[in-house]
Amino acid sequence: MWADLNRVLKLWGTRRKALAWGLVIGMLSALSGVALLALAGKGVAAGAGGIGLVGVSALIWLRPVVLIRPLLRWWERMASHAAAFQALADTRVWFFRRLAERMPAGIGLRGSGDLLGRVISDVEALDRLYLGGLMPAAAALAVVAAIALLLGAEPVLMLLLVLPLGLALILPLVLAPAAARAAQRAADERGGLRAAAVDPVTGLEDTLAANAEGRALARLQRADATLMAAQREVSVRSAAAGTAGTLLTQVAVLAALGWGLLTGSAGAAMAVLALFLAIAAAEALGLMPRAGALMAGAAASARRLFEAADTKPPVEEPANPAPLPTGNDLVLSHVTFGWRADAAPVLEGLDLTLKAGERVAILGPSGAGKSSLAALLLKFAAPQSGVIRLGGTDIQDLASAELRQRIVCLSQNARLFDVSIAENLRLAAPGAPDAALWRALAKAGVAEFVRSLPEGLETRCGEGGTRFSGGEARRIALARALLPPAAILILDEPTVGLDAEAERAFMATLATATEGRSLLIITHELTGAEPLDRVLRLAGGNLLPATG
Amino acid sequence: MRQVRAQGGRAAWPVALGLAGILCQVGFVFLIARLLATILGFPGGGFGELAAAGALALLGAALSMTQEMAQQAAGERARASIRAALFTRLMELGPADPRGVGEKATLLVDRVEALDGFFARWVPAAALAILGPAAVILIVAQFDGTSALVLAVMGLLVPVAMALTGIGAAVESRKQLDVLGRLSGRFVDRLRGLSTLVQFNRAEDEARALGAAADEFRQRTLRVLRVAFLSSAALELLAGFTLGYLAWRHGMLLAPQVTDPTPALFCILAVPVFFLPLRNFSQAYHEAMSARGAAAELAPLLEAPAATGLLLEEVPPRVALVFDKVELTYPGMDRPALPRLTFALAPGETLMLVGPSGAGKSSVLRLLMGFAAPSAGRIAINGEDVTRLKPAELRRLSAYVGQRAHLFGGTIRENIRLARPDATDAEVQRAAESARVMAFAAHLPQGLDTEVGEGGFGLSGGQAQRVALARAFLRDSPLVLLDEPTASLDPGTEAEVMEAIARLCTGRTAIIATHSPQLMGLSGRVIELAGQRRVEQHVG
Repeated sequence: MWADLNRVLKLWGTRRKALAWGLVIGMLSALSGVALLALAGKGVAAGAGGIGLVGVSALIWLRPVVLIRPLLRWWERMASHAAAFQALADTRVWFFRRLAERMPAGIGLRGSGDLLGRVISDVEALDRLYLGGLMPAAAALAVVAAIALLLGAEPVLMLLLVLPLGLALILPLVLAPAAARAAQRAADERGGLRAAAVDPVTGLEDTLAANAEGRALARLQRADATLMAAQREVSVRSAAAGTAGTLLTQVAVLAALGWGLLTGSAGAAMAVLALFLAIAAAEALGLMPRAGALMAGAAASARRLFEAADTKPPVEEPANPAPLPTGNDLVLSHVTFGWRADAAPVLEGLDLTLKAGERVAILGPSGAGKSSLAALLLKFAAPQSGVIRLGGTDIQDLASAELRQRIVCLSQNARLFDVSIAENLRLAAPGAPDAALWRALAKAGVAEFVRSLPEGLETRCGEGGTRFSGGEARRIALARALLPPAAILILDEPTVGLDAEAERAFMATLATATEGRSLLIITHELTGAEPLDRVLRLAGGNLLPATG
Repeated sequence: MRQVRAQGGRAAWPVALGLAGILCQVGFVFLIARLLATILGFPGGGFGELAAAGALALLGAALSMTQEMAQQAAGERARASIRAALFTRLMELGPADPRGVGEKATLLVDRVEALDGFFARWVPAAALAILGPAAVILIVAQFDGTSALVLAVMGLLVPVAMALTGIGAAVESRKQLDVLGRLSGRFVDRLRGLSTLVQFNRAEDEARALGAAADEFRQRTLRVLRVAFLSSAALELLAGFTLGYLAWRHGMLLAPQVTDPTPALFCILAVPVFFLPLRNFSQAYHEAMSARGAAAELAPLLEAPAATGLLLEEVPPRVALVFDKVELTYPGMDRPALPRLTFALAPGETLMLVGPSGAGKSSVLRLLMGFAAPSAGRIAINGEDVTRLKPAELRRLSAYVGQRAHLFGGTIRENIRLARPDATDAEVQRAAESARVMAFAAHLPQGLDTEVGEGGFGLSGGQAQRVALARAFLRDSPLVLLDEPTASLDPGTEAEVMEAIARLCTGRTAIIATHSPQLMGLSGRVIELAGQRRVEQHVG
C-alpha cells in the first residue's frame, strides 16, 4: 500500500509546492480551531473561578480568532482542492500516455468496461489520498504537537493527553492495510459492476434479440449485491475506526479531568487548559481514523492504475533509433508469431517481400493471422522470432512513430471518434486543407455522401461512427488512411460493409489513389478489379503464391 | 427526483439512533461541566461522575456505530432498486436511444453511486440538523434562557447562509456535471480508439488535449467550490461568534454573581455539540448537490412510462409476413432510411434483400426486431399488426444476426446458449457445429469453454459472426432475420456457412440482407432495394 502511495506522490512531484502550501494552511486552520475553544474555555473558567485577569486577556484574544478561523478554513479548502485537482489532471494525462505506449493495439481481453472504470473512477479516487489522508494527518499532527508544547510544564498531564491523542493519530496507520484490502475488493467489484453494465449495453442488439434482458438484469443485480457487500465491509471498518477515534479523544478529556480531580486546586488552571485543548482536538483528530480508510481506498485505486499502466510494452522502443532508411522495400524473413503463449503460433516461419511500389494481396480465411501481420508491421506486436526489414533496416531499430509515418494501416477496428468528419480526417494529416480532405473522401467514394449531409465536413460522427451506416463509416475511415503520404499502405479488409459494386469501384480507383506507394491488401476475397502485381495465400502460418 | 424521494422514508431508524447519540453527548458534556466546576473548587462531582461520563462515551460509540450501519443499509437498498429500474428502462429503449455506451455505463454505475450520499448521509443528516440542535436548545434553556436564545438564532441563520451560498452552487454544479459527462465520454471514446490514435502518431496530441479538457474541468469545479466553501466558512463564523458571545456572557457578565459555574461551563461546552449536526449537514449538503445533479439526469429515464403492448401467448410455429407501404424515417433525418416498401411473405418463404449500403436493408430487419417503429404503413405477422405487440414479445418470434456480432464476457458455450438458456449441452454443440464454430473452437485450448473477452477480442470478426450464427441455430424460431451474415467470412467458410444457413431457413420464414447477389445457392425471392424509391422484385 505505501509503495503505491509513494509512487503517486512521486507522480505529483511537479505540484509539490501547491500541495505543501495546502498542508500548511490546513495546519494553521486546525490550530485556529483549537485556539478558539481553548481561549473561550479559559475565559469562562477563569471568570467563574475568580481568576479575573487571565480570563479577560483570553476573551480579548478570542475576538480576532473568531474572525480569522472562518477565513483560514475557506482558504484551506480552496488551496487544498486546487492543488489536488491539478495533481489529478496530471495523473489522468500520464495514464493515457502510458496506455498509448503499453497497449498500442488497443484495450484487450481485460474488458474495456473494467479498464475504463479504472481510469475514470480510480483517478478521481486518488484525491482522497491528499484531501482525505494527508490533509487531516497534517492538521492532527499540528494539533497534537501544539498540545505537547503547551502542556510541557506538567509532563504527567501532557502524557495523559498526548498518549490517547497520539494513538488516534497513529491508528489509521495500524488499520490501513486491512482497510486497503477491503477497499481493493470494493474497487474490483465496482469494476465488475461496470463490466456487467457495459457488456449488455455494448451488445444491446444481441441481448434484445435473445430476449436476454432479464438475464442481463439478474447478472447486474448479482454484481450490484457483491459490490455492496464489499462496500459494507469498507464502511464497517471506517465506522469502527471513526468510533475508535472519538473514543480516544474522549479518553483524553476524561484523563484531563481525572488529573484535575487528583491534583486539586493547585493544578486547576492547567487542568482547565488541558480539558479544553482535548475537547478542541476532537475535531481535528476525529477525522484521522477515517483518513486511514480513505488512504487505503486511494492506494487500491493507485494499484489498479499502475497495474494497467505497467503492462509490459509489446515492443521496446530502441534506445538509439536508427535513421529511417530511404528505401521502402519491406522484407519479412522467417517470422513466427502468436498472440498467446499457450496456443499454436498464427504465423510460422513466414517469408514475404514487398518491393517499393509493388501491390500485393494476401488472401486467407478469417483467423489465419492476416491481421497479426499488420500488427507486426506497425510494431503493435513483435515477432517471437524472425526479422522484419524496411529498406534494409530491422524495424526493431526504428522509432515506432517514424515507422508509422512510413506505413499506414486501415485496420479492421479503425475507429471514428465522436468529433466532426473533418477532425477525424485531420487525425491522419494535421492541418490538411479542406480540398485535400475532399480529395481523400472522393478517392474512398464517400465524398458525395458527405456533401449530402446538412453540415458536410462538420458533421459529428458519434462514438465509433455510429451516426453513419457501417459502409459509410468504413469509407470515411478509408479516406483517413489515404490522407497521409505514407510510402506503404496496408488495407486490412478494406471493403467490409461495402456492396459489391462500391467494392469493385473502390478497388479500381486504388491504382490512382495509391500511385507510387506500396500496397498490401489483406482480404478474404478479391473482386478481380484490384490493380495487383501478386496474390499470395496465407495458410498454415505461411504464404504461398495463390493459384488462379 | 420523485423516485429518488420515495426512497427517503427508510431513514427513520438512522435518525432515531443519531438523536440518541446526540443526547448521549449532551449528557457527557454536562458531566464534564460538573467535574470542571469541582476542579475549580466548587462542590459537585467526583470520580462517580467521571465513571458515568466514561459509560456515556461508550454508549455513544455503540450508537454511532449502529447508526452508520443503518445508513449504509438504507443507501444500499435505494441504489439497488434505482439501478434495476434504470437498466430495465435502457433495455426497453433499445438501440433507438441515442446515448453512447460510455454514457449509459456512466448513468448505470457512477450516477447511481452518486445517489448514495443522498440516501446514506443527506437524508439522515438533514433530519438530525433540525432535531439535534433543537434538543440541545431545549436542554440549555433549562440553565440559561439567553444562551438558548443565542443558539436558536444562530441555528436559524445557518440554513439562511447555506441557501444564499447554495443557490449559486446549484447552478454551477449543473454546468460542472455536463463537463464531467463530456470529459468522461471523451476519455472512453479515445481509449476505445487508442490503436487508431497510435497509428497516426496522435496519442501525444490527444494526451495534451485531454490535459486541457481536465484543466477546464478543474477550473469549473473550483468555481463551484469557491461558492460552496463559503457556506462552510459561514458556518465557522456563526459557530465562532456563538462561542465568543457565550464566553463573554458567562466569563464577564455573569461571572461576578455566580455561585455554581456548572451551567456556564455547560453552555460553552454545548456549543460544539450544537454545531456538530449542522456541520454534518453542511458536508452532506454538497453530496446532496451532486446527487441532485445525478438525479436530474436519471429522472427523465425513470419517470418515463414503461413500454406497453400485448404479450404473445405462444410463439406460432409458422409466420406469414406482410409489409404494406412501410416507411421508416429516423428522427432528425430529412430522407427516409426506408422508403415505402411493400411485400408479402408466405410461411416458410425466404426473402433476400439486396442493394447498396444505405438503401434500407437493415432497416427492414430492425423494424421486425422492434428496434424501431414504422413512421408510416403497416407490418402484419399472421394478420396481426406488429406494433400492437410489446417489442420484447415481437422479438420472441425471431432469431437475429446483426452486422456486428457482439461476444459477451464468458465462454463461447455461454455465448451460444444466450439464445436459449434452457438448451442442453448437446443442443449447443449441434448449433456450434451447424454454424462451423467447431471449425475453429476445436483448436482452442478449452474448446467451446474458451473465455472470450468483451467485444470478442481474441476471436476474429468472422469467428465472432459464426458464434452469432450458432445462436440463431439454437434459437429455433419461426422467423429468421440475417443481416449480412457472411460479410466477414472467407470464401471457404462462407460456402460452408451458407449451406448451414440454407438448412436454418428450411421450414422457416427468413429475411436475409446481403451485398452479394450471388447469394449463394439459396432459393427464394429477391428484392432489390436500390437508390431512393425503386423496388424491383425477382424470383430467384
